[in-house]
Amino acid sequence: MTLLTICLMALITFTTRYLFIHPRLPVRLGAKMAKFLSYSAPAVLTAIWVPIIFVQQGQLNVSWQNPYLIAASLSVLAAAKTKSIYFTMFVGLVSFVLSRYLLAL
Amino acid sequence: MALSKQKARWLMAQKGFLDMLPLNLAVLPWGILCGSLAIQRDFSVLEAILMPLIVFAGSVQLVSIELIANQTSLLTVLFTSFIISSRHFLYGLALRDKLKKLPSKWRYGIGFLLTDELFALSGHRKACVGQLRLIYALVAGGSFYIFWLLWNIVGVVAGSYLPDLTHLGLDFAIAVTFIALVIPSIINLPVLVTVLCAGVLSVLFKLLQFELDLVAAALIAMYGGYLTDRWLQRRADKNGNVVDKNKTKQGIS
Repeated sequence: MTLLTICLMALITFTTRYLFIHPRLPVRLGAKMAKFLSYSAPAVLTAIWVPIIFVQQGQLNVSWQNPYLIAASLSVLAAAKTKSIYFTMFVGLVSFVLSRYLLAL
Repeated sequence: MALSKQKARWLMAQKGFLDMLPLNLAVLPWGILCGSLAIQRDFSVLEAILMPLIVFAGSVQLVSIELIANQTSLLTVLFTSFIISSRHFLYGLALRDKLKKLPSKWRYGIGFLLTDELFALSGHRKACVGQLRLIYALVAGGSFYIFWLLWNIVGVVAGSYLPDLTHLGLDFAIAVTFIALVIPSIINLPVLVTVLCAGVLSVLFKLLQFELDLVAAALIAMYGGYLTDRWLQRRADKNGNVVDKNKTKQGIS
């Protein structure tokens, strides 16, 4: 049963990725639509990461006791300043581990 | 000196691998979490490995493992997977004009590999155009697939020895990766508006437990970016006309 479920899930994830690049799908994109879609990467990626920082167990957490918020703030600064993906990840992970550890003391 | 074709292909493959490498490493905790969770929730090894092998989607895997373990109905599992995965429609649409012309072999390949991560590296105006950029996309996306599979297998193997990892804050690794990708991409006002809208709305919709929270927030944010761009364009057109008139005057005098 689980095997069948997994196969059907695979079909779903593939379909959501593939459907709109199928050539025979009758969809034509105008210049306006293309412009609109050009904002999809920052929009979707942001809509994924921001709730991870601010929402925990369904509750809003905007206090400075929130290790996610501390580490994310430093990561945003690091990314804006250096534009380096490795440096940003390093700053983020170190500050996350440290602030979790220190806040738990 | 012109590069030989083979050398150019090799360089592009290398670049694809190196550009994806930080993301491949960043999903290590997430992949181990997915693999070990499947084992801890009594999935067989085959089932646990089929997840990254054919479903190949972190958040769908994580959520569906819990749902299946809790004996949720098949329809609910599939519907939830569809909702979580529906953001990929946007990626396909955004790359449609470039990818629809490809031979089917490439199209199926890139389509299968079109994750958040590969899409994040496909922002270039000419992404996936021409053989070299296709090689780049295939190696970047393909390496992500292999690493994802590898981290999941590590989780499956170590699964019964690991404690429950779901409350360790491993999702922060995903967040910091996306911060590192998004923040440097804010190069103009429309993108800034998009990011701010997406951030505020996604939190709001999540708190309201709106099922399509992610996609709804993204769509409204994209529209915000689009409107900002149009507004800037109109303003520039007005100013541009004034400048043109001045130029003509100067030209005459």
